[in-house]
Amino acid sequence: MRTTLLTLIATFVLGLAADTQAASLEEMSLERWAKLREVERYQLNIAEKFYREKDYKVALSEYEKFLTLYESSEGAPYSQLKWSLCLVHLRKLNTAVSDGFQSVIDYWPESPEATAAAYYIGQCYKENGETRKAKKAYQDVLKNHPKHLVAAYSLSDMADLASITKDEAAQVAAWRKLTFDVERTRESAAICQAASRNLAVYCFTNDAFGEGAKALETTYLEGAPVQVSAYARQPIINLTAVAETKAQGEKTADQAAAWIREKVPTGTTEEEKTAARNTWFLIADVHAASRRPTKVVETYSLIQKQFGASDDLFGRLANWLKTQDKYDEARAEFRKYLDKVEGQNQVAYSFRQQRRYDEAAAAYLANVSADSENQARWNGEIAMTHREARKYPLAIAVYTELLKSDVDNTDKWLWEMANTHRDSGNYKEAVAWYKQCNNFPSNYQQMADCQRRLKNYKEAVILYVQIQGGSESLAPWAILQIGYTQEEAESKEQAIQAFQQVCKRFPKSGYASTAHAHLQNKYKISVTLGGAKDE
Amino acid sequence: MPAWLKDKRTILLTTLVVVWTLCVFDWLGSGMLRFLHVERFAAWIHSAVFGLAAAVTLAIWSKAWVDYKARRVRFFLISSIAFFPWWQFDVFLADLFGWDTVRVSMAQLGTGITYIGGLCWVVWGLEQGARQFRIRRLAGEDTGEYVPATLNPLDPDARYYGRQKKLNQSLSAFCSYSVLFILAFYFMSNVGGCSEVFDLPAGGGEQKPIAQQIKIQKIIRKKFVVNPFSAILFEVPPLDEIKLQLEEITKHAYTVGYGKGQGAGYGGKRNVKIRFIRLEYQGGDWNQGYGPGDDENLLIELPSFMPGHKFEKKTESRTVAQLKRFDRIAAPPMVYMTGQKNITLSTSETRILREYLLEKHGMIFADNGGSRGWHNQFFAMMTKVLPEIRPVPISLDDPIHRIPVPLNFFPYVVPHGGDRPMGWKVDGRWVCYYHPGDIGDAWANGHAGIDAEIWQACYALGANIINYAYNEHAMWREAQREKE
Repeated sequence: MRTTLLTLIATFVLGLAADTQAASLEEMSLERWAKLREVERYQLNIAEKFYREKDYKVALSEYEKFLTLYESSEGAPYSQLKWSLCLVHLRKLNTAVSDGFQSVIDYWPESPEATAAAYYIGQCYKENGETRKAKKAYQDVLKNHPKHLVAAYSLSDMADLASITKDEAAQVAAWRKLTFDVERTRESAAICQAASRNLAVYCFTNDAFGEGAKALETTYLEGAPVQVSAYARQPIINLTAVAETKAQGEKTADQAAAWIREKVPTGTTEEEKTAARNTWFLIADVHAASRRPTKVVETYSLIQKQFGASDDLFGRLANWLKTQDKYDEARAEFRKYLDKVEGQNQVAYSFRQQRRYDEAAAAYLANVSADSENQARWNGEIAMTHREARKYPLAIAVYTELLKSDVDNTDKWLWEMANTHRDSGNYKEAVAWYKQCNNFPSNYQQMADCQRRLKNYKEAVILYVQIQGGSESLAPWAILQIGYTQEEAESKEQAIQAFQQVCKRFPKSGYASTAHAHLQNKYKISVTLGGAKDE
Repeated sequence: MPAWLKDKRTILLTTLVVVWTLCVFDWLGSGMLRFLHVERFAAWIHSAVFGLAAAVTLAIWSKAWVDYKARRVRFFLISSIAFFPWWQFDVFLADLFGWDTVRVSMAQLGTGITYIGGLCWVVWGLEQGARQFRIRRLAGEDTGEYVPATLNPLDPDARYYGRQKKLNQSLSAFCSYSVLFILAFYFMSNVGGCSEVFDLPAGGGEQKPIAQQIKIQKIIRKKFVVNPFSAILFEVPPLDEIKLQLEEITKHAYTVGYGKGQGAGYGGKRNVKIRFIRLEYQGGDWNQGYGPGDDENLLIELPSFMPGHKFEKKTESRTVAQLKRFDRIAAPPMVYMTGQKNITLSTSETRILREYLLEKHGMIFADNGGSRGWHNQFFAMMTKVLPEIRPVPISLDDPIHRIPVPLNFFPYVVPHGGDRPMGWKVDGRWVCYYHPGDIGDAWANGHAGIDAEIWQACYALGANIINYAYNEHAMWREAQREKE
């Protein structure tokens, strides 16, 4: 469970860092660009243009042309590297390694591109599922270029490889190196930061709070308490959820609370006081994560004692009370708000959460009279509450009033009015209201849906045809819907034609998959048309 | 020794029963004939033995029929026993002629008859037993001797039957019989024999893309029609002069395969052909596109992509449990898996698949037959089977896409699970190839109406995957032999 969680977090964070990785290695320095002759620069720029436009096939031939014409140029290794990267994008990883990156290393071993190529070889192996070869390639990179940027990238990839092979020790070792040893430059900072966060979560989960906090401090000098609280909470929640690890979770929570308390600002200015109060809130959050209500209440009392009452304090305490299913106590806190309107809004929302719609509407109504500037907002909330309570006539009455009083938001109220009619099953009225909306193709989609419910299949088909013509991205969806509509209208042949059209015209779309399966399952038709290739 | 044991007919009948039983186990997949090195005549041997058994039992039954009125029980007993060779012979014939629907129906019908027949015998036996006890008790009443209730389940007065003795006796007999029948059925359908052997075809070859065929372009010179009385001097060329011009000078200098044997093959045994085995699993439609006009089309088309190789005419299927029965080394190099509904694997089946992939060096060729749901279920299944392996997209220039037919694109019918093939690689070998776009539909009659370029590439892809699996397995078998 723990390992899975760690792997998920690591994959997510490393995934974010991956995009930034490649860019810097794929560039040639300005000094070296300056060394190129005009003709060389011209040819290389053409190739670069196609590469930027992701037209890798053309870029590939342009880089190849450069290599043929200017083999001894300063840009040759760079061109060879980019040629190989084109192959990677064209999903020809084996050729990229054997004919591309390896050639960079063999022919221009001293060039900066050779270092990058060594890393890319490892990456290609990894993406090709060759875990062992990838590991070896990365180890070579670390050995030959320990101070280079590629070392950081290799470590990051090795951590990922370790997560695949469930080698927790190797994964943590890579994170440690990235967090504490690797020099953070503009290019390497993102992956080092990601590693520090992963390491922190690992440490918080494995009873090593001190190291985790240190890891986060390498990334967040100023906001470390916020981050410690943020990253410690989930491990604490997980640990305290199980009886066997409950004590460890509580210990980590106490360590985190003590660590954050040490960082509470001690100044007397208003700014420092606010910062101190916010830091105390973090302590309360940590206690809340450790499932110890007494400590949470104690902390909030302490904050109130030390810093006085504030909406922020009431809000946090009330929201925590809601998580403890103590809605009445939460509302009592909301009612203490200095900003009465916002307090009432929160009270109303808490009623809605409990599905006590009448009380919620009454609470919003109180705001209509108390906050005359935002009457439209509160009326909108009242209407929405009525809809949630399925009291559609009441909601329609409110929207009708809003259409008259809040002209600036006419489009919004028209849409809500149409949706309310649709939800109430009054499809004819809904169509009439959708017609007045201006948000094509959403309103057409809804209109077509209503027409189908009214069994006006012809009208529905006409609307879908209009969507197909007006919105390129929704065209396959619209044709598929035409198929379903014709099916409902019992026009079997036309339905089949529509489904086949989806497969034929949009064979790469997911809708083609649906249409194909539907044709086979419902109509037992194997000739569905379609067919595509991924080059 | 009793006289009837010395009777020639008894000896002959016993021999026939033993031979028939062995042949049935062999037919179910134990591969016993392999030990006698006569597996190539298996079909003939089976036909002869099963036919003979059916004929002999028919003769015995006919004889019993004559005496039916006098010896009814004997007649029913002979009928019940004779039913098995007849039923088995029918199923065997249906299987031999490839009438899959008939075979399945016969198998199901036979199972039903066996169950009902057995139940009738149980009821009869119970009734007979109960009658004996009743007679004994009545005799006791006459003599004044008290016969107490026993613990014998045949005794309707047995204490544990409670108040409604007859009902409880019948119910318990019915339940016990049903449970035993299910257990026996499970045993018979899962334990067909010791182990099944999957041989590779003899011959050899290299792992290289097929060389382009010689294309001969005939250039026929223009024919001039010249007036022989013309005043202009004209040199008339011979009318039939044809100049041959070779466009390609390459030719098939090698065959695709593995090993040094003669002809195309994978270093296996003579008269063995390449087979295509489909995996049966619970929960869904494993048999989607199975049989003539569907996946068998691939076997018909394969010779044009793998010249020199011999292929079976019919595709086969095995359950996950049956995969376990394969020999550790002589296991199938690849199994095909498709569907669009659910995949349900038990813990033991997951273990069998893992063992098949890792220890028997097998490979799964999965094809998404029609839904995103199947895609998710298949990936979840693989996560269970190989949790330590992460699937990766398979490169277009990977050997699996290049040999024997170099593919310049990845072909699919519709993207049920994306538009890229995914693979699970263990120690540099693909143990699973996942096709996301219904390749089976491209193989079927009509080719789903897609372009010829794409469905032809789908056949080529099938050939490549089969070649890859056979080649990897042949290499591994050789290594295992050397180890031993």
